[in-house]
Amino acid sequence: MRAPTETTLNPVTVEVIGSAFSSAVDEMGEALVRASYSTNIKERRDCSTALCTATGDILCQAEHIPMHLGSFLQFVPKLLEVYSLDDMHPGDVFIGNDPYAGGGTHLPDIVMASPIFVEGALFGWAINTAHHSDFADRGHAHIYQEGLRIPPLRLDRAGVRQDEVMRLFLLNCQVPKERVSDLRAQMAANRLGIVRVQELCRKFGSDIVRDAGKALMDYAERKMRAGIAAITDGRYVFEDVYESESLEGHLDLGVTLTIAGDAMQLDFVSPPQVRAGLNVIYTALQATVYYAVKAVVDPSVLPNAGLARPITINAEPGTLLNCAHPAAVDGRISACQRVVDLVHGALVQVVPHRVTAASCGSVHVASFSGTRPGGGLWVYLETIAGGSGARYNKDGLDAVQVHMTNTSNLPLEALEAEYPITLLQYEFAEDSGGDGRFLGGMGVRRVYRAEAPCRVQIMGSRLSSRAWGLDGGAPGKSGAFLVNGNPKAIDLSGTIDLVKGDVFAVVTPGAGGYGDPALRDSAARAQDAKAGRRPAR
Amino acid sequence: MAWRIGVDSGGTFTDVCLIDDDRGDLSIWKVSSTPDDPSRGIAQAFAEGIERVGADVADVSFFGHGTTVATNALIQNRGVKTGLITTKGFRDLLAIGRQKRPDLYDLQADKPVELVSRDLRIGVSERLRIDGSVETPLAEDEVRTAARHLRDAGVEAVAVCFLYSFLSDAHERRAAEIIAEEFPDAFVALSSQVAPEFREFERLSTTVVNAYLGPVMRGYVRALSGKLADAGLDVAPQLTQSNGGVTGFEIAAEMPVRTVLSGPSTGVVAAQALGQMSGIGNLITFDMGGTSSDVALLTDGSCRMVAEAEVHGYPLNTPMLDIHTVGAGGGSIAYVDNGGLLKVGPRSAGAHPGPACYGLGTLEPTVTDANVVLQTQNPTALLNGQMPIDRGLSVAAIERLAQQLGLGVMETADGILDIVTANTAKAIRLISVQRGHDPRDYAMVAFGGAGPVQAARLARELGMSRILIPRTPGVLCALGLLMTDLRTDYSATQIMLLDDATPDMLRGVFDGLRAQAEIWFNAEAIAPEARNVTLRVDMRYAGQNYEIATDLPTEEITAESLVALKDSFLAHHQRLYGFVAEADAIQMVTYRLQATGSVPKADHPKFPHAGPDASAALTGSRPVWMRDAGGFVETPIFARDLLLPGNVIQGPAIIDQLDTTTVVPPDMVATVDLYKTLILEYN
Repeated sequence: MRAPTETTLNPVTVEVIGSAFSSAVDEMGEALVRASYSTNIKERRDCSTALCTATGDILCQAEHIPMHLGSFLQFVPKLLEVYSLDDMHPGDVFIGNDPYAGGGTHLPDIVMASPIFVEGALFGWAINTAHHSDFADRGHAHIYQEGLRIPPLRLDRAGVRQDEVMRLFLLNCQVPKERVSDLRAQMAANRLGIVRVQELCRKFGSDIVRDAGKALMDYAERKMRAGIAAITDGRYVFEDVYESESLEGHLDLGVTLTIAGDAMQLDFVSPPQVRAGLNVIYTALQATVYYAVKAVVDPSVLPNAGLARPITINAEPGTLLNCAHPAAVDGRISACQRVVDLVHGALVQVVPHRVTAASCGSVHVASFSGTRPGGGLWVYLETIAGGSGARYNKDGLDAVQVHMTNTSNLPLEALEAEYPITLLQYEFAEDSGGDGRFLGGMGVRRVYRAEAPCRVQIMGSRLSSRAWGLDGGAPGKSGAFLVNGNPKAIDLSGTIDLVKGDVFAVVTPGAGGYGDPALRDSAARAQDAKAGRRPAR
Repeated sequence: MAWRIGVDSGGTFTDVCLIDDDRGDLSIWKVSSTPDDPSRGIAQAFAEGIERVGADVADVSFFGHGTTVATNALIQNRGVKTGLITTKGFRDLLAIGRQKRPDLYDLQADKPVELVSRDLRIGVSERLRIDGSVETPLAEDEVRTAARHLRDAGVEAVAVCFLYSFLSDAHERRAAEIIAEEFPDAFVALSSQVAPEFREFERLSTTVVNAYLGPVMRGYVRALSGKLADAGLDVAPQLTQSNGGVTGFEIAAEMPVRTVLSGPSTGVVAAQALGQMSGIGNLITFDMGGTSSDVALLTDGSCRMVAEAEVHGYPLNTPMLDIHTVGAGGGSIAYVDNGGLLKVGPRSAGAHPGPACYGLGTLEPTVTDANVVLQTQNPTALLNGQMPIDRGLSVAAIERLAQQLGLGVMETADGILDIVTANTAKAIRLISVQRGHDPRDYAMVAFGGAGPVQAARLARELGMSRILIPRTPGVLCALGLLMTDLRTDYSATQIMLLDDATPDMLRGVFDGLRAQAEIWFNAEAIAPEARNVTLRVDMRYAGQNYEIATDLPTEEITAESLVALKDSFLAHHQRLYGFVAEADAIQMVTYRLQATGSVPKADHPKFPHAGPDASAALTGSRPVWMRDAGGFVETPIFARDLLLPGNVIQGPAIIDQLDTTTVVPPDMVATVDLYKTLILEYN
């Protein structure tokens, strides 16, 4: 399979430069985590790094958080609509977060891009996004309630901080000291990326590096096309329901996935956007589809702009899955998890061994905030892992971050050092994994006790629906949020006041099983029983 | 007469190095390993080695041993059935880990095997607070019941890990007493002893791995001690740890988790000794074998010690030399993927079936086949003529790839070497540039069977101008055992603000560590003049969670020491992250003491200078493909054994020896130093 844009560059040089890109983005990520002060970055690693071409095509994205690809897709193109190349200098730093202005996929993800100059000309961009654990306890009727909207704008001009911008931003944040240190860590990451690319250009010449970048994108495209072409042509339809703590009832989501030769088209159907922070901006939908397709077609495809070329994504503007201004988007990730399920559900019909039964289908978020004795505010955000779907030949993974996220947990010994919270339990939800010949992965039960008054805002899905099984496998058990053991204490606002001594529990959904439970190996059943596992039926 | 013996037991061969301390003579000896019970092969190698050099076993003054027993048991999941007792509410932490999945995109990927199954993970009531105070006292009856349950379930080892045990070990120690009463045969590992550091999951993982490997290592050292004693060995045998030092067998059996990098760490120590002899302190080691390469960076003669790393998927908080392993070796297989790019490794043909040129049936080209095609390696036989090969098979294998790529056979073979070079360069960048060191300031030490073959390309890729090739590159690890000191590490965690700290406070912490070291010095019977300690403090800005290791001078701790500590931290931070935060407070977090007992080293003899003329070692020539020349160039071949100090060889040249081949490209010159180390330099 040959791509239309064939390059004549030596494939060995391409491979060598590709390795250098990937080691540069890894280094950037490591610097970001190590230099930062906020628990969400330094322990939970809720950040991603990438390199882009001068016009903003992604050369290489680090393997951090798939959702963050959505932050990178439009940032540079939108920035270049506002700032002219003549007015761009080494040492410039641009930030932004607004989904409707090319920024992140929700406001807490602050994107930072730094131009890379080689021999006086703009070669490309070092870019990263970090989820700033701020904008907590806000409303979500529309985006104006969700936090400060920042279009792509200049934070540093030729190495000099634009203090006005910083002061405006910090005044709108609940934990400004952390914001300063996280931005500093983001800068450390970009600085490294710039140095690495400049070194590479010195060594090979910037033309060769630029051509290699193009060749790597062509290469990703070829691999993606080769993988799609290997799947039987046809139209594959799948539907599911979506619910959330901030919705009454449920919404219907669907996809029609069409494979024709080496191209794939996905047409999504979803209800009109909602007055809640659940809507999905188009870049988030793109990032989700690219992840979902890559995982099935070929997990080894390079994470660059080339992989998107064979894929067409349609969704009606103004709907949940392609929302329009001023829809609120803060909790978009649970819907994105369900988009992955839709894509995989459609592909089950043609490549049943390459997908899993449905994973937990949610990102269960608990965002705590309160006031410190001295008057300062604190915000502690955590997203909690669930079950991963059973495979056709083995059980699903227990208690892992699935699909669009991959953040770490916050160690108890770090949590209790920073916040007035005690962790009482962190164990498998033993009855959550769906039964089957192979079991769906188990969710977890994470139980906190408030040591001071605070508020917690929750988000999540699969609270009443269940992650589907495959080939006779049972669905996983739904998740829950409980206050002092009582689920009814939570209303549609998703916000709960805790007083000292209150016990707040997050139980994440289990995943679906694969195959008829009657076919499960008897030795495996005996081991399940010994381990206290009670598969959901 | 006094003989010092090093034995490195690998998967394929057991290497023995014997040095006669009086005359400095070095002998090497290899026997096949006995993987079912490595102690047999080692005892045999020992006995044969002694006999071969005509030594009297009573004259052996030192026996050092590097082993892969612990690492193999971990990779192959052949540790013992292990139980866990932990704080109630957290028994699944071992399986949950940091909640990340094993691969971002691959839905079929699995986590590493759980070393303790869920039915053997038991939570008991107890809880400490972050200040070390007791919120819930230890429920002794629950520990007793748990110990009985684990005993009846047939476990051999019990790991105990409670929250905040790094602040107070009282609950863990009491639990150990109860386990000893109920289940005296169990091997018990306490997190407060194995890895008394912050972050509960990593501490737990380390403790569990230690328990899992404990009885295996204990059984192994007992069997080996017995066999060595039967063979007449009269001195206490020593075993290398991941920190590059050796320790007594009994201590190794208690802390097997500290030996998972036993093998590669001795290579680093040997390279360090080599650098010392040659007067070069800044080195990057490159140890390339059949399936993988180990790389490490030494600055001013010492290798960075890391306190945490992931080994075979298991996080381990234990002192290890900062050695990075990449799946690139002589047997790594080259292929064209479905996007049309050439890839090499990590899959390896190993020793069997081996490269295509071995003629054992495989048609997949390896890195060795590329070298055979280009004739950088001997095209008719390897191992100095002992092992015939068929270059035609290598050509055929590479031709298939060449057709897929639309390149010539030679270009493809050359490309395979470029890609394996890029893969190893990436590993070296990780341990150098990524930590703020420029490889151009370092010399490379190349060893292992494939290291000297690839070294020149790798050095060029990284801009390194000098390469050292030891006399015996294939058995350098065994040699390293004869240059290793006794070494162990102690640490304590206690967060202190640097600005609030007084010399007395810091002294107090280190006095506690010194007291532990003193016990070890005495147990190992190390003479007072041979005792040495180095001190380090892991520091960060208040708010960060990753520390930077900062050296503390060992002299009396004074106000000046604190100033020096601060300056050093700020310099490191600026270098790594490009900024310092003037207004922010600096914390000291973990205090580390490394205790070393100097061992008399093998004294490497200098040989007399014999002048630049190397013609006496010239054995012939063969055409070798050179990219710059665009074709084959008739290249002289030298025998390494015949080279003498002072000899100079201008590239292109090939230098052959039993255990490897050294490639000297046209723009390099090789000289032999007084220790017969080969030094390659770019013109």
